Amino acid sequence: AQEEFDENMTFTTSERVVDLLNQAALANSNDSKINILKQVQELIVNKDPNLLDNFLDEMIAFQTDKSIDVRKFVIGFIEEACKRDNELLMKLIANLNMLLRDENVNVVKKAILTMTQLYKVALQWMVRTRAITDKQESCWEMVSDMAGDIVQLLDSDNDGIRTHAIKFVESLIITLSPRMCDSDVPKRQENDISLDRVPKDHPFIKHDSLRDEGKSALEKLLKFMVHPAISSINLTAALGSLASIARQRPMFMSEVIQAYEALHANLPPTLAKSQVSSVRKNLKLHLLSVLKHPSSVEFQAQITTLLLDLGTQQQEIARNMPNLKEFRKRQR
Amino acid sequence: MPASPLRVAVVCSSNQNRSMEAHNILSKRGFHVRSFGTGTHVKLPGPAPDKPNVYDFKTTYDQMYTDLVKKDKELYTQNGILHMLDRNKRIKSRPERFQNCKDVFDLVVTCEERVYDQVVEDLNSREQETCQPVHVINVDIQDNHEEATLGAFLICDLCQCIQHTDDMDNEIDELLQEFEEKSGRTFLHTVSFY
Repeated sequence: AQEEFDENMTFTTSERVVDLLNQAALANSNDSKINILKQVQELIVNKDPNLLDNFLDEMIAFQTDKSIDVRKFVIGFIEEACKRDNELLMKLIANLNMLLRDENVNVVKKAILTMTQLYKVALQWMVRTRAITDKQESCWEMVSDMAGDIVQLLDSDNDGIRTHAIKFVESLIITLSPRMCDSDVPKRQENDISLDRVPKDHPFIKHDSLRDEGKSALEKLLKFMVHPAISSINLTAALGSLASIARQRPMFMSEVIQAYEALHANLPPTLAKSQVSSVRKNLKLHLLSVLKHPSSVEFQAQITTLLLDLGTQQQEIARNMPNLKEFRKRQR
Repeated sequence: MPASPLRVAVVCSSNQNRSMEAHNILSKRGFHVRSFGTGTHVKLPGPAPDKPNVYDFKTTYDQMYTDLVKKDKELYTQNGILHMLDRNKRIKSRPERFQNCKDVFDLVVTCEERVYDQVVEDLNSREQETCQPVHVINVDIQDNHEEATLGAFLICDLCQCIQHTDDMDNEIDELLQEFEEKSGRTFLHTVSFY
């Protein structure tokens, strides 16, 4: 009887999805269309994931919708669907790739944000499987190419796209470097993949070349930061990214502190006066957050000099000194 | 114009005067707006500068109103506090603390540098989830009725200009520069990520 009941439930959910998809096709406003599609997403991603495969094409068809918001919704759907069932990456990555090249910048930005999440999902999925199929192989190749393309977007002529690319690069650097015992690990990212979890003998994923890609991404980010015409917002974003890289991957702390020093000595001449104040404030905030990290010990002199130059009070610096006792406890 | 309406937060210290004045005007102009304070407590002027009325963020505007009527109806009518509380309770029931709100905004406007610092610090201390950017802009406004009104109009102008850009992230820098020139003020501006 239980089985019969379940079948009935599936039947009705499926019918409801068909009905909703019809409604979405006829919806007269984008808001109501998105609202209906959100319900479909809830039903096929969370309530009954067995239906996900059945209705994938119908949902993805909306990626050519005229509305920017509907296209952005489809990107969000791709993210949720692939997180729910990693195998779907093989079907959906090409769609995401198209949306990454959309004519509208807001769609492109959303696609970059989604790739920031899905790159890690894809790598984890590849590492988990040892017998890689051709399809899976070409899927990963596309993921890698897209990652490379987004790194190139650091040179985009659109400021917002560059900002989004910075965040992608930050995440890429953290994924493609090893998590060590002194790494800060944000709770939400505890289960994320990083280089230390990539086996050295994987038949397809090459540990060393991933490591090199990560290093090269860091070099590009550092180079990006010293561009004389960098915008204040991009500079702010990059300063923040470097701080989280330093805390999560203290192996790069020296590069980060050097970059902060160089920037402080030589702020871009294109910044307006109020932008200089905003950037200096940000630099101070991030220096304090790096100082708090136990691995900042060998850089304390440099960090303190910078902070004093930025007008930080001695007391505030003292308050942000790392708690080494607690750190040693943690290491034990 | 961006397809979706701008999600704006206006933040001052106690979520009473400056942020509520702006909240009022922005919501009348159809913005998706919320307002907040960043202080640990809500402070209202008292009988002397060193004797403020202090409430926690759980207290409703209505309860504050009743409390002040009981304490000294004439004083708080004359200095406009009762009028302000009456306006506030028509907008929402109680002040809200920015640090306790998990909503996502496109733009957070703060009313003084200290509040800006607190907002930026709070946003940076949160764990990143979606990497979606949020712009934080400080507009200095003195904490009195007249300046709050002038400041609210300036914030509203700013939000309208931003709402009308095709591509906020790309145009906001230049737009702020223009606003600085036009208004003779300077704005702090940064971007944080959710």
